[in-house]
Amino acid sequence: MQWSWIPQNWSIIWPYTLDNLLLGLVPPLIGLVISVPVGIACVAKRWLYPPVLSVASALYALPSLALFVVLIDYTGLGNLTVIIPLTLFSLCVLLPNVVDGLRSVQEPVRQAATAMGFGQLRRLVQVELPLAMPVVIAGLRIAVVSSISLASLGQLIGVSSLGYFFIDGLQRDFPTEIYVGLALTLLLALLCDVILVAARTVLTPWARGRRIAPSALTPGLPPAMGPA
Amino acid sequence: MITFEAVTKRYPDGTVAVDSLDLDIPDGKVMVLVGPSGCGKTTTLRMINRLVEPTAGRVLIDGRNVADSDPSKLRRGIGYVIQQTGLFPHRTVEDNIATVPLLIGWKKASARARARELMDLVGLDPATMAGRYPYQLSGGQQQRVGVARALAADPPVLLMDEPFSAVDPIVRAALQDELIRLQAELHKTVVLVTHDVEEAIKVGDLVAVFRPGGHLAQVDTPERLLGAPADDYVRDFVGFDRGIRRLSFFPAAGLDLATDTVISAVTTFADAITAGRRAGEPWLLVAGADGRPLGWAAVADLAAGSPAAALADAELAPVGHTFRPDTDSLRAALDATILSRTERAVGVDASGRAIGTTSYERLRDAIRAAEDAADAGAGLVRQTAGEAR
Repeated sequence: MQWSWIPQNWSIIWPYTLDNLLLGLVPPLIGLVISVPVGIACVAKRWLYPPVLSVASALYALPSLALFVVLIDYTGLGNLTVIIPLTLFSLCVLLPNVVDGLRSVQEPVRQAATAMGFGQLRRLVQVELPLAMPVVIAGLRIAVVSSISLASLGQLIGVSSLGYFFIDGLQRDFPTEIYVGLALTLLLALLCDVILVAARTVLTPWARGRRIAPSALTPGLPPAMGPA
Repeated sequence: MITFEAVTKRYPDGTVAVDSLDLDIPDGKVMVLVGPSGCGKTTTLRMINRLVEPTAGRVLIDGRNVADSDPSKLRRGIGYVIQQTGLFPHRTVEDNIATVPLLIGWKKASARARARELMDLVGLDPATMAGRYPYQLSGGQQQRVGVARALAADPPVLLMDEPFSAVDPIVRAALQDELIRLQAELHKTVVLVTHDVEEAIKVGDLVAVFRPGGHLAQVDTPERLLGAPADDYVRDFVGFDRGIRRLSFFPAAGLDLATDTVISAVTTFADAITAGRRAGEPWLLVAGADGRPLGWAAVADLAAGSPAAALADAELAPVGHTFRPDTDSLRAALDATILSRTERAVGVDASGRAIGTTSYERLRDAIRAAEDAADAGAGLVRQTAGEAR
């Protein structure tokens, strides 16, 4: 470990870190924007959910590197080629959470809302979506951490990320660079997770002392072992 | 007035929940729908705010068919309380209560002010409770919030679906008392569903007893339900001690209390023996200078003592339970009498002074008179109703 390398190369470490952060955040956000309406549709039309879930699970099983290669023909060697597969993975994680979150709203609460004169849309926006939030945020945590870790693979097709230090360190047989890349990836993931936990605490003070449904932690693979 | 006209609810699988129901629910009264599970009482309730739509027939509120109103607007004018409270977990107590006022366009500040007003009304301290979330409340408190939320926009009609079934008996009794108190103040048209006939008799001005299959067995006042059940089904349903329970509806004011049995503590044994013989009573109630009962003196035992001694020095049997003839029922008077080892109980006034004493004979006469009057009165009402029809 050569500590002096870090300050000397700060000017390249910082941009790679920022790019990695961006690749880690954008796909889950797009995934969220897509999975909320799809999840609402799946809850409204029960028959829709099983086929949608099957497709999502199949997508989750695809190796990301293979997707990069396929997409290069269409989207070239740009950010988009990395963002699209990561968005798909985020979607697979978030969709079941949105559905479970909406389904976690208890029937008496739904019924009381209707009986007080909430229309369907108002009930969705003011009651069901806020109540689904803890479960959705749990999914978001997994999606963000996975994306941050998977983003480094983008470097294989030349998309800037902390993956640069792994490849460069390997080629030059210079472990310090690899350790720095590794530490920064972990740090980013941890930072984002802490921010999401803080957001959950602030946004859902009513959920303190309540458990989040175990299904919130599906699908089963821990983020570190996510599809590579 | 809420009117059911030949209302039937048949579900797609063929189950008939409510079968050609005719029912009038008068304004400002508590109408309790009671019956075993599956008798259609909850379905009936939910047809009022269109959570369930009838298959046939009409439900009218003040002459207007509810089917002609926009469901959301209709519901904002009808309070609704359910067993599981249905409170919004993500809203504070204050915001839960303010829900309907906000829906109908109140300003946030005035909706919240109204919420605090209602918290006072249902016995929740706004200062400590307004900012709490439902998970921080006990079952009884949650139910109070549920009632406050239903009342927030001051709807003329309040629907309550087994509102007190999920809380323990002590809290339930307190909530029932609270409802009776609120209703005396607010005069809402309340429709309350329960499977508990005790609750129906306690809180209802009128009770509709349902039979399995969605038929009405009897609609009557609680007193009439106990005194004159329409058939064996209702008789079994209201329970075995209905004769005693009916006494709750007869005021103890009708009781002719013996007054010559109340005697001052300064009376001598000799005078007391004379007074007891004159009254023909084996027990005399000894009262202090302030008129409060001190205990019972047995006339037969006084002869053994010194004739000049005062009753204050005599060995007295405990007073036991007392009752208030002006506010209590005959049931309370009978209960106090049964519990006393002298087979007599003391009627007291508001300041606790002894007015007179009961005996089984006196109670028997009062009960007969009250029952005869009730039966005759109800008979008259029946007849007039028959003619009007």
